[in-house]
Amino acid sequence: MNNIVLKRESNTDFSSTDETSLLVVIFDSNPGQQFLRDNTHVLTHCLDSIIAFSNAHLMQKAQNKLAVMACHSKTSQFIFPGPGKPIDIRQTDGQYEIFTMVEKTIKHNLSKLLGSDISNILTESLLAGTIAMALCYIARMQRIKSPGIKINSRILLVTGSSDSASQYMNYMNVFFTAQKHNVVIDVCALDQHLSLLQQGCDITGGLYLKLPQLQGLLQYLLWVFLPEPPIREKLVLPPPVKVDYRAACFCHRELIDIGFVCSVCLSIFCKFSPICTTCHTVFKMPGPLAVKQKKKKLKL
Amino acid sequence: MGDEEEPKEYRWETGYEKTWEAIKEDDDGFLEASVADIIQRAKRKRQTQKTGTTKLGMMRHLYILLDCSDAMSSQDLKPTRLLCTIKLLDGFIEEFFDQNPISQMGVIIMHNKRAEKISDLAGNSHKHVKQINSLNRTSLVGEPSIQNGLEMALSSLKLLPTHASREILIIMGSLTTCDPSDINVTIETLKQEGVRCSVIGLAAEVHVCRQLANQTGGTYNVILDDCHFKDLLYQQVDPPPAAVCLDSSLIKMGFPHQMEADGKEEPLTMCMCHVDSVDEGSKLTTGGYYCPQCYSKYCELPVECRACGLTLVSAPHLARSYHHLFPAANYTEVAFEKQVSLCFACQKTFTETDKQVYSCPNCSKTFCLDCDIFIHDTLHTCPGCATNLSTFQITHTS
Ligand SMILES: [Zn+2]
Ligand SMILES: [Zn+2]
Ligand SMILES: [Zn+2]
Ligand SMILES: [Zn+2]
Ligand SMILES: [Zn+2]
Repeated sequence: MNNIVLKRESNTDFSSTDETSLLVVIFDSNPGQQFLRDNTHVLTHCLDSIIAFSNAHLMQKAQNKLAVMACHSKTSQFIFPGPGKPIDIRQTDGQYEIFTMVEKTIKHNLSKLLGSDISNILTESLLAGTIAMALCYIARMQRIKSPGIKINSRILLVTGSSDSASQYMNYMNVFFTAQKHNVVIDVCALDQHLSLLQQGCDITGGLYLKLPQLQGLLQYLLWVFLPEPPIREKLVLPPPVKVDYRAACFCHRELIDIGFVCSVCLSIFCKFSPICTTCHTVFKMPGPLAVKQKKKKLKL
Repeated sequence: MGDEEEPKEYRWETGYEKTWEAIKEDDDGFLEASVADIIQRAKRKRQTQKTGTTKLGMMRHLYILLDCSDAMSSQDLKPTRLLCTIKLLDGFIEEFFDQNPISQMGVIIMHNKRAEKISDLAGNSHKHVKQINSLNRTSLVGEPSIQNGLEMALSSLKLLPTHASREILIIMGSLTTCDPSDINVTIETLKQEGVRCSVIGLAAEVHVCRQLANQTGGTYNVILDDCHFKDLLYQQVDPPPAAVCLDSSLIKMGFPHQMEADGKEEPLTMCMCHVDSVDEGSKLTTGGYYCPQCYSKYCELPVECRACGLTLVSAPHLARSYHHLFPAANYTEVAFEKQVSLCFACQKTFTETDKQVYSCPNCSKTFCLDCDIFIHDTLHTCPGCATNLSTFQITHTS
């Protein structure tokens, strides 16, 4: 239990006594993900690791707060604390009640969610929307906290989905909001490299980790993501990777490094086109090429 | 709702000065209307006007014309008009560049019947903030000359390419202006050049300012107190509708990414921005941004590549302004009749005190008032729409 010792040491400064840490774990449990379809045991393995990690977070300090969300393609939900009343838990074989409650609630709500979402499975997980919900939740926690208490909030995203440039706009909105409100976004990529989410980690000061080995999920979570951001500076963590800051073009949602930007609305296109599809502005052609232009309203 | 619940920030600082103007301003006949109320109503009104379909001038070139005359030493704003303005401009400039990533700004001060450019058109906030802050040592003398200020700004704005949106913002403490010739001629030229002029008055309405704003398509407002001043100033952060005579074009730009070095130590290289600067000297550094066309290195973005002329910007920086183009749909206010038990976003349980809840027209999810404000002021993404593939598409093709 090295983590607890570490925490105590850093707690010696007096100011941290009324600081609490709010962790929102977003687990991409979309059954459409490639690595979950290959092997059904993987989901249970990931879930157990996340529950153990969540409990480790609660164990660090009595005031620590936790929320766990599940992300799918048609819905996203809080699976802890779930909707409705907390489940009534009695102590079983000496386990601390809260831990039992976390485990039971998460498993109960997730199985309900998975059971309701079997009709047609879509592969895209709408992670940006889930982060947006998490940010609203964090904003409420900041509003209702008792005066004098400081809440440090962070979001940990655990996903095996691929990057989707179609969510580009939503991703950018949530990244900038998180940055503005000092919410750190950490990403643990289980299966594929995620360049957009990596940008989010860079913007908000979080950590990005592409898991080398799925078997070791819990170990990586505990080593890399359990320490709070201020403590991380003292640890030797995976070195920061160079972030790819290319833009996604509006026409094909593909990442490009040279593009054309509409002077009116700043939309990005990968090729020259005579009309902006975003604001319907007609552009002056660079060459003598006479293209029949659609009569669009040029003026307001 | 009781009046005491209204957050009246800084009201105690301003005391009772100018409260008669707060009352005079309210033309609905409600004498007790507070300034906070006026601001709140204006905010809601502006929010509903944002539909995302209007053409905006995003490549902005803004000159701030700051009155530094005798009138700015008045203490009706605390500690003085000038110091209060400097403090507000500090925040405004940061916010302006945050929301208008590839825009430029310049600062001109007006005192002693002259105009003086203290900071040239540039896209970097640090320089402007530094210049503005150095103003607290300026002596506030004489009368301002709006005409001289406008002419100086115009001479610089004239040179810009036709797709650039040109704007002037005047912060005016004085009630008079001392102009060398007929200001109507200047106003006419500004109108022809498509320069949008807005004025924020710190004292009382001045006819010539009203006329200038009306003729050029800008706004004219007189502040009630420092809170109202801040609100008026921050309205200028949102890009204005594109001027009628504004040309549009597609501009080729590069989105540099850092060089991949695969675990090895990155080589020391020289950046183009410091290669011939005398005072700082050229430095050899690792890292930096490389032009995707010619691989010259720069240490700061945005910048125009000195070797090949390509404008280099960072994509996320550009993305900061996209919420102006794709704002989240406005929610409709509905009476709370236990339709749902929780706010979809923040999970707050609705109680009897929630008389109104807010519903999204696209995803029909229900939200609380706090989330409505948070989503439309800061987040710009509807959590309901963004978590469902079927509504997710609607918001992006509209
Ligand atoms: Zn394209
Ligand atoms: Zn456009
Ligand atoms: Zn170049
Ligand atoms: Zn809410
Ligand atoms: Zn919605």
